[in-house]
Amino acid sequence: MKKYLVSFLLLTVLVSCGRFSNKDEKQENEERIVCISKQYSEIIFALGAEENIVAVDLSSTYPPEIKDLPTIGYHRALSTETILAMKPTLILHDNNIGPEQVVTQLEELQIPMKTFGNYQSTIAGTDSLIHEMGDYFGKTEKAKALVEKLKSDMNLALEEGKKFTSKPKVLIIHFGRASNVYLVMTKNSVAAKMVEWAGGEMAVEAEGQMKQLSPEVVAAANPDIILLTDFGYDQLSQGNEIEKLPGIAATKAFQENKIFRVEEHDMVYIGPRTGENVLQLQKLIHPDESK
Amino acid sequence: MNQSNSKVIGLALLVILILISLFSVKFGAVSISIQEIGNAFTHLIQGTEITDLNERIFMQIRLPRVIMGIFVGAALAVGGVLMQALFRNPIVEPGLIGTSSGAAFGAAFYFVLGATFKLNLGEWTLPIAACLGGIVSTMLVFYLSQSKNGGKSSVVSLLLTGIAINALFLSGVGFLSYIARDPQARSITFWNLGTLSGAYWEGLLIVAIVTTFSILLSLRYAKQLNALMLGEQEAQLLGISIFQLKIKILLINVVMVAVATAFVGVIGFVGLIVPHLLRMINGSDNRFLIWSGALLGAIVLTASDLTARLILSPAELPIGIVTSLIGVPVFIILLRRTNYFF
Repeated sequence: MKKYLVSFLLLTVLVSCGRFSNKDEKQENEERIVCISKQYSEIIFALGAEENIVAVDLSSTYPPEIKDLPTIGYHRALSTETILAMKPTLILHDNNIGPEQVVTQLEELQIPMKTFGNYQSTIAGTDSLIHEMGDYFGKTEKAKALVEKLKSDMNLALEEGKKFTSKPKVLIIHFGRASNVYLVMTKNSVAAKMVEWAGGEMAVEAEGQMKQLSPEVVAAANPDIILLTDFGYDQLSQGNEIEKLPGIAATKAFQENKIFRVEEHDMVYIGPRTGENVLQLQKLIHPDESK
Repeated sequence: MNQSNSKVIGLALLVILILISLFSVKFGAVSISIQEIGNAFTHLIQGTEITDLNERIFMQIRLPRVIMGIFVGAALAVGGVLMQALFRNPIVEPGLIGTSSGAAFGAAFYFVLGATFKLNLGEWTLPIAACLGGIVSTMLVFYLSQSKNGGKSSVVSLLLTGIAINALFLSGVGFLSYIARDPQARSITFWNLGTLSGAYWEGLLIVAIVTTFSILLSLRYAKQLNALMLGEQEAQLLGISIFQLKIKILLINVVMVAVATAFVGVIGFVGLIVPHLLRMINGSDNRFLIWSGALLGAIVLTASDLTARLILSPAELPIGIVTSLIGVPVFIILLRRTNYFF
């Protein structure tokens, strides 16, 4: 009996560490904003408007200091009471939240919710979003500066891109793998756009944003470069697992030692740092030709 | 079995259920004071509108959730009692004859293809899709298990057909999550772990009526199920029509479990262990098992939900994780300690 109790307690301790146990240090704030969108969260911090943010969702991981805030869980598995425990005066979200019933409950309780304009996921669309959010938080000037920075980084990246003589094939694997199937980012994803700006092309032709692909497809695509997002890379790199992955060892990327780690939050939405991130990608994709 | 014994057990279960419900009503991510609970009820009785946020959280979220847990727990446990008695088999659980996998398929279909087929009945779409899925798959099991000669399905072929159809519908769920976009796939995963967090009064009313009615109805067949425990032929000698009994029990079970599952998702293990726990304590008279199963099922689910809400507070776990996480060790300890025969 004791053994079970001990293991149970241990489990409890384990699950209660991490971001769930972060203390709410903004008890005194009159305005209390819960932000359920990783893109919004990054822009708010970049604007310097984070003062009244009291909690974010689990996928909001940039900038690093955001991890000191309490989290209300995964954005598709929200719980009304968890959100309300933060005593929000406003909930910011980008419509990618669920389950539906929670949204209904929040509406019925008349908790103020706000979604910024539904812009396209392009540089221009993100410019508009940053401007709108800047105006909303009274940081119009800072927003202008962010947009300028994003534009100039992008221009620099596109200028650089003109010099490249080759177009390496890039494969982006998300979350590592599950039972030998790879979750690969595809044509309509933000990551695909970034790869294109960085002077590469997607190794696999597939519709949609992500697709589960078999190792055979991966091997046949023979990418020059493989990018693994942080979670999968960290999990796999511990025991040099990457080389053992089926289909990977046969690729050019593996033979030339061009398998790299990328941060998920740099690749899945366009934000103020996208220009910088594209420049970083260029260093990975065109190590000899980029500055 | 001992009559006075079962009364004591019943009373004890009732007291525990009331205590746990009270705890469950009060504690959670948002702390609600006794005074706020009192105020909320005063508003309700006087018919005035509740303006205080905590009182509204209590009335619109916490209270329906706790009561939903009680009824769903009761429905799953009684479903388990009925199915284990009908199949005379200890590993049977209420979803076995296709009900929960069919419901899961219905829900997954709605998540992934609902927009394509323009299925939209507001907040009722998901429960209706899940409930229909559960009923269709169970009907399919029943129809396919009828043998060609005589049209009477044996219990064994029903059991095996159930397992086969379960596999079929689960592969359907697998296919739907494979073609789903990421958020849809997550919705399926979380639905299959169950949660009481979406409970609302209208849904609760339906679950409560169906469950209460089904449990009362099933009590009428408890004696016949007792006779069936002796064996099919023995029961027939006692003048029981096995075919009719089977249809009635299956109908009660499928309606009760499909409706409960439709509103809260798939919650495993409760229907399997609760009947066994009670048999360990007080033997296998189905008259006792049905009503005490309802009480213990309600206790187990309410306690699991309370744990799910408090363990990571203010975040919460899907309840299906908790029922197994706590249920399994408790069940195994009891199994090892008692001299238990089905």
